[in-house]
Amino acid sequence: MSHYKMLDGNAAAVEAMKMARVKVISAYPITPQSSISEKLSDLVDAGELDAKYIRVESEHTAMSCAVGAQLTGVRAATATSSVGLALMHEILNVASGCRVPIVMPVVNRSLASPWSLWCDHQDSMAERDSGWLQFYCENVQDVFDTLLCAYRIAEDRRVQTPVMVCLDGFFLSHSMQKVLLPEQDEVDGFLEEYIPKNAYLNPADPMVINDLTPTDEITEMKFQQAVGFAQAKVVAGEVFADFEKEFGRHKGVVEGYRAEDADAIIITQGSMSGTAKYVVDKLREGGQKVGAVKIVMFRPFPHEALRQACGSVKKIAVLDRTAGLGAQGTPLWLETKAALDGDVDVRSYVGGLAGRDISPMTIQKVFEDLHQEAPCDEVNWIDCKDDPMHLREVPLHV
Amino acid sequence: MKQLKFYGLGGQGVVTAAKILSVAVSIHEGRYAITVPAYGHERRGAPVYTDVMVDQKPIQVNCFVYEPDIVVVLDEFIVEKHGIDVGRGKDEDTVLVLNTASGETAQRYADQFGFQTVYYVDATQVALDTIGKGIPNGSMLGALAHTGIASIGSVESALEEFFGKKAGEKNARAARTAYDNTKKL
Repeated sequence: MSHYKMLDGNAAAVEAMKMARVKVISAYPITPQSSISEKLSDLVDAGELDAKYIRVESEHTAMSCAVGAQLTGVRAATATSSVGLALMHEILNVASGCRVPIVMPVVNRSLASPWSLWCDHQDSMAERDSGWLQFYCENVQDVFDTLLCAYRIAEDRRVQTPVMVCLDGFFLSHSMQKVLLPEQDEVDGFLEEYIPKNAYLNPADPMVINDLTPTDEITEMKFQQAVGFAQAKVVAGEVFADFEKEFGRHKGVVEGYRAEDADAIIITQGSMSGTAKYVVDKLREGGQKVGAVKIVMFRPFPHEALRQACGSVKKIAVLDRTAGLGAQGTPLWLETKAALDGDVDVRSYVGGLAGRDISPMTIQKVFEDLHQEAPCDEVNWIDCKDDPMHLREVPLHV
Repeated sequence: MKQLKFYGLGGQGVVTAAKILSVAVSIHEGRYAITVPAYGHERRGAPVYTDVMVDQKPIQVNCFVYEPDIVVVLDEFIVEKHGIDVGRGKDEDTVLVLNTASGETAQRYADQFGFQTVYYVDATQVALDTIGKGIPNGSMLGALAHTGIASIGSVESALEEFFGKKAGEKNARAARTAYDNTKKL
C-alpha cells in the first residue's frame, strides 16, 4: 500500500531512481543537487540499492559514464544543476544522438554569471535543443511521479530519447512536502526491467557506436530523432493515462486550471505554477475570470495540447523564469506565440531570476499588466527594480 | 491556511525545526505542510529564517511567507544585534513564540512590534538541561505547540522520528519540558 512521507524534492527524486532500480550511478555534487548525489551514495553504501556508484571528477564524466553504463543494458543514474549541466553539454548530445534513454533530474539553478546558487530555468533552457525531452515539476509529489513516468516514456521503443526532469532549486529541491509513495512491487508493475532496444555494449557481440558517420546518413538519423520526439507526445499521453489508472493521480503534458471560461490566462512552468493557481482562485473570488495553464512537457513542445488548453482566450501572459536574451521574447513565449493564432494577445514576461521569489503579488502584477489595453511588444521584466541601470556605487581605488 | 516564519541564527537548527513541524502536521495529524527554506550565504551565527505553510488541504502556493500568522524567534538578540524586523508582514492577530527567560524581554517584543499574543520560554536553557547542548529548536517546537498549530504529542512523535530513538527521545523531552514551562504574556 502507498504511504505518506515528508520528503524534499531531491529526496523524492532519489526515491524514484531507487524504485526504478538504477544499476549504475555516476554523479558529481553541485548545489542545489548535492543531496541527490549524497543520498544515492548512502543507499548504495547501506546495501539498500544494488548499484555501482562511480565517483567522477566532473559532470562531463558523469554523463559519459551514464551513457556507457546504460548502453550495457541497465538504467544509469545521474543528476545535476546549472554549470554542471552546461559542462555536460557535449555528452548530452551524444546521449540523445545515440538514442540512450537516460533519465536525469535537473535541479534548476541560474547559470553563471553573475554567480548564483538560486533557482531559475536558464540552465535547462540552454539545453532545449540538445535532443532531450524536458519535463518541469510543480511540487514534490510531481517530482516523484514525473520521474517514474519519464523512465517509461524515454525507454519506449517509439521514443528512445533521454529525459531531463526539471525541478526548481530550493523551491522544490529543498522544500519538504507530503508525498504519497507507492510500494516497490507497485512500481515494478508499472515500470518493467530495462531492456535496450537499440545499440548495446556486449563483449560477446561487439558493436561500434558513435563512430564517424557519413553526411550521407546524418540527415536521416536526425529525422529519426525528430520522429522519436513526435512519438513522445503520443507515448507521454499513454503513460500518463496508465499512471493515473495505477496510482490515481492525473497528469497531462499541458494542464489547464480554471482556463475553460477564462478571459485571461497565465502560462507557467515549474514551482510557480502552484502559486499561479492560488492567485487564480483569489482573483476568481473577486470576480475576475482568469485561469492558468501549466506546461509540463517543454520538449517536445506540445503545441496542439496548448492550443486546446487555451481555447478561445484572447489575452495570454507567459511568465518565463529565464531572460532569453536577444530573442524577440522569452523561450516559452516564443513557443506559445508560434502555437496560437495571430489575433491572440500573447505577452512575454520575465520573472523569478536567480531565486527572486515569484510570490502571489508577482503573479497578480502580471494579470494587472495583461489587462492594460495597449499591448506591449517588448519583454516585460515584471519583478525588476525601478532603476536597474544604477544598482550600486563601486568605489575606485586607482 | 496558517503561515509561519522562523527567525534564528545559523547553528540553532532553524531549518530543522521547520522540517520537524511539517512532519508533525503532515504525518502525525493528517494535514498538509510545506517548508520553504531560504538558503543563502549561511555560516554559523549568521541570521537565518525559514517559512512553513500549514493547511487542511494540499498547499498550492510555493513561495516565501510575507504575512505570517505565527512568528517563531529562536534568538532573542536577533533584533538588536542583527537588525531583523520580526514584525514584518504581521497583523494584529499574529502570534509570537519567543526564546527568552525574561518576561520583560517578551513584553518589549510585544510593545515594539505590536504582538498581542506572546508565548515565551527559556528554550536554550531547557535544551542545555535535556539534550546537553544549547540548540533550542526542539524545545521551541514544544512552546510552539501552545499556538495549536500542532499538538505537543505530534511534536514529540515527529522529533523521535526525525532524530532517531536516542537523540529523538532527548529532543522530545526538551519539547515537553519547554511546553510545560511556556508562559503566556
